[in-house]
Amino acid sequence: MKIIQLLNLSSPFIRTRALTLAVATIIALGVNIVGIFSGITILLSHVIYIPIILAGYWFPRRGLLFSTFIAVAYGVLIALIIPLDLLLIISTLFRMAFFILIGGVVSFLSVKLRASEQQLHEIIEFLPYPTFAVNRKGFVIAWNQAVEELTGVKKAEILNKGDYAYSHAFYGIKRPALLDIILTPNPETEALYPHMKKEGKKIVSEIFIPRFKGGKGVHLRIAATALVDERGNITGAIESIRDITEQVMTESALQNTSSRLNTIAGIVRHDISRKLAGLYGILSIGVMKFDNPEVLFFIEALKDSAQGIQIQVDISREFKDIGTSPPAWIPVQDAVLDAVWRLGVGGVSFRTWTERLEIFADPHLTAVFFHIFDATIKETEQVTTVVVTYHIRDSGCAILVETDGAGFDNKIKESLLSQREERYGHGLFLAHEICAISDMTIKETGTPTKGTRFEIMIPPEGYRIL
Amino acid sequence: MIEKDGIVTSKKTEAEISHDTLRRMGNQPDAEICVRELKRDEFSAADKIWLEYHDTTGDPASDRVFAVFSSNRIVSLARCRRHTDGMDVDGIFTPAEHRKKGYSRIAVGALVEACHNDDLYMHAVRHLIDFYKKEGFITIEEKELPQTIRERYVWAGGNLEGAEVQPMYRKAGLFS
Repeated sequence: MKIIQLLNLSSPFIRTRALTLAVATIIALGVNIVGIFSGITILLSHVIYIPIILAGYWFPRRGLLFSTFIAVAYGVLIALIIPLDLLLIISTLFRMAFFILIGGVVSFLSVKLRASEQQLHEIIEFLPYPTFAVNRKGFVIAWNQAVEELTGVKKAEILNKGDYAYSHAFYGIKRPALLDIILTPNPETEALYPHMKKEGKKIVSEIFIPRFKGGKGVHLRIAATALVDERGNITGAIESIRDITEQVMTESALQNTSSRLNTIAGIVRHDISRKLAGLYGILSIGVMKFDNPEVLFFIEALKDSAQGIQIQVDISREFKDIGTSPPAWIPVQDAVLDAVWRLGVGGVSFRTWTERLEIFADPHLTAVFFHIFDATIKETEQVTTVVVTYHIRDSGCAILVETDGAGFDNKIKESLLSQREERYGHGLFLAHEICAISDMTIKETGTPTKGTRFEIMIPPEGYRIL
Repeated sequence: MIEKDGIVTSKKTEAEISHDTLRRMGNQPDAEICVRELKRDEFSAADKIWLEYHDTTGDPASDRVFAVFSSNRIVSLARCRRHTDGMDVDGIFTPAEHRKKGYSRIAVGALVEACHNDDLYMHAVRHLIDFYKKEGFITIEEKELPQTIRERYVWAGGNLEGAEVQPMYRKAGLFS
């Protein structure tokens, strides 16, 4: 009855298994009937384990019942065909008990295995991000609710389908997807994802799919990783997708706003610089026109103020640009030497010992050194030597900028790297902000009267020694 | 002309020196005399010079090597090797034909300044003790050396005087 029920099941997958099991059972019992007539009762009885194990594995909830049925069938055959004696009865009963035991054990283990698989499927099923998985042959083995909602393709329609059915759900055509790069590495597939990059064991990419959301399109961030067995062999791949449309739109809006603000700020800066140039001209004529020392002193003071405004304009130009380009590996020696060249001060010896050091930093790293040098030389006294070195520590790498001279007063040190009074400018604050972009920190640890010492701390993953 | 400084001479100021010259002196050995640290791919050039010096070789993972260049040729070397328990200064070597020109002092001066953030230890050849004292080193007992550095001369069986070497130490620091 159970077998008939199984055969009536609608899933072709289960029907195939049930038919296979029925055939295996008939063959096993048939072989045993022949064996019993031929007197081979011990050896051929082992054939019966085949349908018992298959039933326990494929239909674990009915495995014990099936093994009991087949054990009873075997016992009846023995009883009907062979004259019974005590030894035969005992051995037959033992054999029947083993059939039931094996069926029970296989069923129990299969139930546990199914429960574990079910748990995994449920984790995938209820992940908030659209997720699907394929096996080594490219057949879909998992397709969660979130991916159903994103693509409109139901799990029942796509499960166990191959031939890039999953890609069709996304792109409208059958083509390799990101996870196929894991299953079958291929430059042509990689070319479909030009922004692909590797992050640890997974590969990620961002794509735009115009056909989703009623033709409005969505920006997706896709991450694919391999499914591996206990020996590390790839058995499939899993792809997780995140809708980043809102994030992309926000970034785009911010970029547009930033661009407009920069344009306006650029116009204002240009106008101020032009007016300053005019002011410089007038002051220069004033110096030639007047010889009264009081007036000349007054003009000189005006020039200093104008110079201060020009510095503020220059710094605001740098503020505009920081963070606009992505961080990159930068040779520290080049950044230091560029800063020295830009500084243009005489009477100070600069020595830098950072030839082998590269750090992952904002491309405006030169400005960091420039403002440290500038603030140190202008705000402290008696600086004759600046030395730049690096020091490897457990917490990362420290770049040390040290000078001789008077050093910073304790009162100033506290606010050195924050936004200070206008007369100091914002150079060190700018240096602090540039460092923060790539998780670097900066602090002044010098001893007053013994010189200055700036420590730029780089995290372990942010430096390399060439 | 550089006497001691890594990039800018004590006589010339930065303002007197062009940007390109600074770059060259910092990165390329085409100034007449300059001193700089060797990069990983330049260690083999130092190894050739050290063939005459106990056949030693450099290890880019643990060593910092400072070379004085004259007309693009290495004329003096100084090495600092990071051990698990301290920094060991060794490999200070000037080929015979380039001696008596002050190159060793330039190389050692560069090393001391570049590695000044760590305490430095060394086994100094006894007749050069005064030379290293000028770079801030002081003489110490053998037992004061970190163990891994002390083990370099374990073959002397505690008789470093007999081996003509003197343990020395320089406390970390620059402008002190």
